[in-house]
Amino acid sequence: MENEEDKSIEETITDNDEAEETAEFNGEDISREVVVPGEVLTEDTKNFLPGRGTILNKERTKIISLNIGLKQINKNYINVLPLKGFYTPRAGDKIIALVTDKNPVKYRCDINAKDEGVLKPRNTVKRGKTRGFRGGGSESADLSTEKYQIGDILIVKVLSADRLNQPELTTVGQYLGKRRDGIVISIDPPKIPRVIGRNGSMIKMLKNLTKSNIFVTQNGRIWLKGENIAYERLLIDAIKKIEREAHTVGLTDRISEYIDNEKKIRGVN
Amino acid sequence: MPLIIKDEYPEKLFREDGKRLDGRDKHELRPIKMEVGLLKNADGSAYLEWGNNKIFCAVYGPRDVHPHYLAKPDKGILRVFYRMATFSVFERKRPAPGRREKEISMILGDCLEPLLFLELYPGNSFEVFINVMDADGGTRCACATVAALALADAGVPMRSLVTAIAVGKIDGELVTDLSGIEDKAGEADLPCAITWFNEELSLLQFDGSMDLKEFDESITLAKNALIKIHEMQLNTLKNKYIAIQEEYSGGKNKK
Repeated sequence: MENEEDKSIEETITDNDEAEETAEFNGEDISREVVVPGEVLTEDTKNFLPGRGTILNKERTKIISLNIGLKQINKNYINVLPLKGFYTPRAGDKIIALVTDKNPVKYRCDINAKDEGVLKPRNTVKRGKTRGFRGGGSESADLSTEKYQIGDILIVKVLSADRLNQPELTTVGQYLGKRRDGIVISIDPPKIPRVIGRNGSMIKMLKNLTKSNIFVTQNGRIWLKGENIAYERLLIDAIKKIEREAHTVGLTDRISEYIDNEKKIRGVN
Repeated sequence: MPLIIKDEYPEKLFREDGKRLDGRDKHELRPIKMEVGLLKNADGSAYLEWGNNKIFCAVYGPRDVHPHYLAKPDKGILRVFYRMATFSVFERKRPAPGRREKEISMILGDCLEPLLFLELYPGNSFEVFINVMDADGGTRCACATVAALALADAGVPMRSLVTAIAVGKIDGELVTDLSGIEDKAGEADLPCAITWFNEELSLLQFDGSMDLKEFDESITLAKNALIKIHEMQLNTLKNKYIAIQEEYSGGKNKK
């Protein structure tokens, strides 16, 4: 079971690498210019178009920022990458959920978004097990679904999400399901791409230096498990440092230096 | 025997040297200090000291609406809770929300609503909690200013910030930024707020008497003062992040 989980973490991290935000947040052409809501980004509306986090004013003469964030120019689009904000679920996201309520028809999960996630029993079918030999057997139908309790930590996938309905979740799929060990910490969701780093560079470095398993999800929650408690504490401190300094230059090098120094100070090998 | 203190105001609101009672010029602002992100458990927060006013603001959201019947199916709602601490004024203020607090909560909600994209959050609410710890005139203007800061700090998408100030008339002359005593003993009081994305008035109340020419003039006075305060708001929001950047770039932050 342990080995299986370890493999799953590896695989999912490669999934994370391909997320578009990763490339965007760590693009080299990001100026580290902090902008605030209402600030005029450009008055040159002929050559530039409003991208993410921006809006045209009524007269179509200015492009205005909507968030507090970093200004970024991508080809002829002007984007603002937010420094603070909330998670909006999107279909296909793999996230960490906490079961807050259960009844005969559904589980309700806290997913750190504006709505609670809904997990229906038909989306918790046990994987890798058939109901019986050659379609028959004495096992009843409800034995084939996983049972969860209030307070369980699950890794789920978002099946559907829009702004009107509650997002529907599933634990059926590769690498999804209940986590029985480890620690879950949460940080600001917009800073998640920075913890992953460009092409997963930051997360690989963290894993190598602290000998830990990390699973980063888009809703701002991070699951981690180290060799011992000292490594886990060091890792949590490093992630909090990344969160605080997410908008600065040369972060990966600084964090690796920080971990090396802390290891000597704390006497962790 | 209860202690009864009568409200006594000075006859003249200007000193002999032509300055106001607290030593300010006619159009001088009180000292302003702003801070963001100081309440850990709120999604966004801000603190403002405007003269003797001391105000905390916390923002939560988007989140579920309770009671649920207030939720709207087609758009989100913005709820503002303006409260004064019992010790914020000279005579003890009863803690239950009164007529004045409900009114100010409502007008602040109306003032902030055009900034937000509420249609993106149907069935949800943003909640703004404002606590006045110390009051000395112009709290509703200070509250609108600090609420805009807290909303921006929470990462809520906004069209722009909003800034508010009170102008008025004391002893026959127009002045900017009324203090508590000028507010009560003066002739007119005109709190107004501007949303910066369209530079339109988002809040305008009037109390007292003033002719039309003076009214136009006071709006211009207000706008001049608001530009200064808006600049302070922007710098406060930016400095939270720029300070961290400068730690690691040796003060060479490109602006």
